[in-house]
Amino acid sequence: MSRILVVDDESSIRLLYSHELADEGYEIATAANAVDAVELLRRDDFDLILLDIKLKNESGLELLQRIVKERHNLPVILCTAFSCYKDDFSAWLADGYVVKSSDLQELKDEIRRVLAKKSSRGPTHKVM
Amino acid sequence: MEWKCCWATEEVTGSECPFIEPCEADLYVSLERRFIAKCLECPRMEEDLGRLSESGQPAAPLLRILVDEIRRQKARMDSMSAFLDNMNMEARFLHEIGVVLQTPLGLDEVLSVALTAFTAGKGFGMNRAFLLLADKERRFLKGTLGVGPRDYQEAWEIWDEVSRNDFSLKEMAKHFFDMKLSAEKDKFHDILEQLTVSLGDQSHILNKALLERRPILVEDASKNPDVDPLLARILGVDTFLILPLISRNRRIGVILADNFITRRQITAQDVKSMETLTFPVAFAIERASLYERLHEDLRKLTRANTKLLEQQELIVRMEKLALLGKITSSISHSIRNPLMVIGGFARSLLRDIPPDDPKKESLETIVREARLLEDALNEALSYADSVLPALDRWDVNQLVGNVFREVRRNLAGDRMNFILELSPDLPAIYTDYRQIAYCIKKLLRYNMEVMGSEGELYMGTSLEPDCILIEIRFSPEQHGDGEDGAVFPRLGEEDETKGMELSICRVILENYCKSFNVEEYGRNGRRYSLRLPLKKEGEDHEQDSGGRR
Repeated sequence: MSRILVVDDESSIRLLYSHELADEGYEIATAANAVDAVELLRRDDFDLILLDIKLKNESGLELLQRIVKERHNLPVILCTAFSCYKDDFSAWLADGYVVKSSDLQELKDEIRRVLAKKSSRGPTHKVM
Repeated sequence: MEWKCCWATEEVTGSECPFIEPCEADLYVSLERRFIAKCLECPRMEEDLGRLSESGQPAAPLLRILVDEIRRQKARMDSMSAFLDNMNMEARFLHEIGVVLQTPLGLDEVLSVALTAFTAGKGFGMNRAFLLLADKERRFLKGTLGVGPRDYQEAWEIWDEVSRNDFSLKEMAKHFFDMKLSAEKDKFHDILEQLTVSLGDQSHILNKALLERRPILVEDASKNPDVDPLLARILGVDTFLILPLISRNRRIGVILADNFITRRQITAQDVKSMETLTFPVAFAIERASLYERLHEDLRKLTRANTKLLEQQELIVRMEKLALLGKITSSISHSIRNPLMVIGGFARSLLRDIPPDDPKKESLETIVREARLLEDALNEALSYADSVLPALDRWDVNQLVGNVFREVRRNLAGDRMNFILELSPDLPAIYTDYRQIAYCIKKLLRYNMEVMGSEGELYMGTSLEPDCILIEIRFSPEQHGDGEDGAVFPRLGEEDETKGMELSICRVILENYCKSFNVEEYGRNGRRYSLRLPLKKEGEDHEQDSGGRR
């Protein structure tokens, strides 16, 4: 069972993702901010991170850079309300990019694609 | 001794002195005035003086000396008086020219006054005058204007006209400017065309006059080694006057004047008088030239200022649009998250609900409405993105291709025919990808909404001399059932939302396109032509290179 860490400052969105993705058979952990996320990443192993770009008082892109630097094999999918971040170079570090929508099918497809890619790449290297 | 002349009589009658004219009656009673005016020249007085000398009167030789001296002085006085009269006339004329030359500001008007002054009978009465002006680069003297008759017949007509109309110099110049200037330019075109002299040729007689800053009266031109024989041949005269026009050390040009018809001699006094005239003429010509240049500069400045104002307005408009975009983006973001949660949970619940559950319809409504709201938000965010400029060098084929594919994916109807024709090897152009893409998408969306699911959409690119043409054609299906065909939206004339969006599109496209045209074919559809310039504004020498994106 793949483990997914959801990082989003909106509790209702964390709840929705947990609910929907659990139905898809994933094991879900959530974090409301970058500090909690880093703590969880230190403590546990994850197969994928769903990361909101706009966290309260901090940037998801900075956390993305840190994850890529320290856990370079851990795939990250950016979830955002803004499609314009597709043009941001920092966002190109992520493995996937999904614009938030009530229809989570695109997100689910993207998760499957990224995880399939990851399994062909091998295990993550944990240094965090 | 009995005197034959009345020089010794205080008062005389008409019969005593036949030399007094009726209009000189005062001389009958004034011996002093009569003696000076008449007796000194009177043959009877000469006889009296002879007889007096023969009589041996001792005062007779003395009287002869006195009378001769008085006659010499009188002749001198008369000559001086005539000279002064001439000078006075010339001064008045120069004053008149000076006043007249101060009024006009246009070069042609100044030239009309100047050449009229040289050729009019009231002026210096030269038969013809040709003006050669230095060009802007000060490299050549070029024949600019000729005035005067070409032959005897014309000369007679001109002089007859002048004698019938007692014009002042100002009136004559105005008459010339209004009625004759353009014809006069044509009349001497053949001569003026040949009157071109390099200002660098210092041996040429015209340049000599300019360098020495003095008029040169050329006589016997065909035999004069200083004169280019061609010049004499062009003018067709052996005697002519060269008057240099110099203003503040600047060589303005020269005037060539001659008496082609009357062959009247040009005197030293003529030369001197005309030389005096050259100073105000040169000054007026320079002033008129400077005025014209100033006017031209003013026109350029006005154009630049207008352009600047347009750019300022554009910047303000773009800033407003950008601000509007940011606001839209911010609002959309704050709505999107709760909307996503509502819609997401509704979908989740709907998935698990039994088909006959009474809440199913409500949940479906929530899902549907949430999706509609999300579409509206996407639209708003897409617009917000589009108003933030993304200026760079872009591949137009990539832009058109991307938009085409997106539209085909989203709007494809079962019976819709999509045609994409991209011209290969187009150069990259400097434009705003997002804004152009946004506008094309809007045009496609609204026009295809009208066409429905049937018809043909054509998009193509092609290279034109200084731009790239993007062509979009909408051709609705023709049913031939007599129904009205598709009514295509007009930019700015739609319902409130469409109208605003299409108006924004027009503004954006007009800003970025060299031209933006819409051709209506009624029920047969519509064609948009967007011509994007190959070079960005102010880019004159930069060569286009391949696309960076």
